[in-house]
Amino acid sequence: MKNTMRWMAVFVLALLALPVHAGDSGAMLKADELKAEPYSDARAVAMLAAGDKVDILKKDGGWLKVKSPKGSGWVRMLSIRRGAPGKSTAGASSLASLASGRAGTGKVVATTGIRGLNEEELKAAKYDEAEITLAESYSTSRAEAQKFADKGKLKAQKVDYIPGEMK
Amino acid sequence: MKRTAGRVLFGLSLGLGLWAWLNAASGLNLDELKKSAEELKKKRDSVASDLDKKAKSAGLVEYSDDEESAIGRQIAGNLLGAAPLVKDAKLQKYVNNVGTWVASQSERPDLPWHFGVIDSNDINAFAAPGGYIFVTRGLYRMLNDESELAGVLAHEVGHVIRKHHLKILQKSQVVDQGGKLLEKQVGGNEKIRNLIGSGAEIVARSLDKEAEFEADRIAVVLAARSGYEAYGLPQVLQEIGHAGSDDKVALLFKTHPHPDERFSRLGNAMGERFDNQKGQTLAARFYRIK
Repeated sequence: MKNTMRWMAVFVLALLALPVHAGDSGAMLKADELKAEPYSDARAVAMLAAGDKVDILKKDGGWLKVKSPKGSGWVRMLSIRRGAPGKSTAGASSLASLASGRAGTGKVVATTGIRGLNEEELKAAKYDEAEITLAESYSTSRAEAQKFADKGKLKAQKVDYIPGEMK
Repeated sequence: MKRTAGRVLFGLSLGLGLWAWLNAASGLNLDELKKSAEELKKKRDSVASDLDKKAKSAGLVEYSDDEESAIGRQIAGNLLGAAPLVKDAKLQKYVNNVGTWVASQSERPDLPWHFGVIDSNDINAFAAPGGYIFVTRGLYRMLNDESELAGVLAHEVGHVIRKHHLKILQKSQVVDQGGKLLEKQVGGNEKIRNLIGSGAEIVARSLDKEAEFEADRIAVVLAARSGYEAYGLPQVLQEIGHAGSDDKVALLFKTHPHPDERFSRLGNAMGERFDNQKGQTLAARFYRIK
């Protein structure tokens, strides 16, 4: 019994610790280094080329731990596209199909019973004073926000805005 | 402004007179004198017209914060008419806590910011001028931790602080009323109601692509300033791009650049800046929607 409990606890913990990306595959969006540790000055294990397939094991900040034929290590999450390689073309075609016609919207409304939010509905929307008053009743003062941040050990940092991409 | 313009004009005239006198005294010929006098006059006119233009653009099209909020309130009220709030007070308060903390790291910390989760399975988020920001239940359910919520809200905060939607309104008919929206205390709201009308399509209006990329760049910075991990928004973009295509993302995909494109543009802009920044994700505190 005790043993079962322990295993259950391990199982639950494993579930909780289960990274969002576990078991996910991905492909390199661009060439980048495979690092021994999740830091930019960490030792490079290998160089991954654009399009290289990787298995995503876990996440730490802006870094993903991956397994690839070239080795295991950490890669910047910004250099990886999640999902099967070549998905970008699928994405483009689905985008085109979305743009060409969205006849399915009504169906979703019918099957789920919860409204979708399409342009027609937004255009037809009628002002709801009671709802906006309710929405405003939940507002947070700056002092409250500071307390909330303190509770989460969120410390304000000085970070400059990023300039636009130079082309 | 006018006084400054006057001073500049006066200074230029004085200079012109002095210059003419000096030239005459040194015996320059009359034609040359005329020519340089004409050039100076041209310069003077162009300075005057520049000042005039500046005064006009500064005076006419700017809304006060109060006016902006009143406009946003009307639009937000319209949006809630299409999709009401999720009836979960704890959720709504939580979202306001995160959003207000993030917005307080922006250059408009004192706007009356309002955040909410609206009852729609669509995956989308909306911003109205003055700081009214809403996330759909569908998008909220995709989120894994507080840093992702912060990133999504920060993107909308970016639209508000750079007045992306307000600028569209200013270009439309509303601009004609320029700055006089709240002049009369009585019936002020009525006036705005008449101007905005019903409907909330402005919140789903396609902005310039660059405005979306800009809001993404602002979002990661505001999240980092707030002490969160900067990668919350990129993470969400990756997931939306990965989730692919169905009706739930139809409107989002129609009005925004594709999430994959946003992800890669944002990645290029972020570069290595945030590599060693270890902010909080606060997955444990994240409020799970029922």
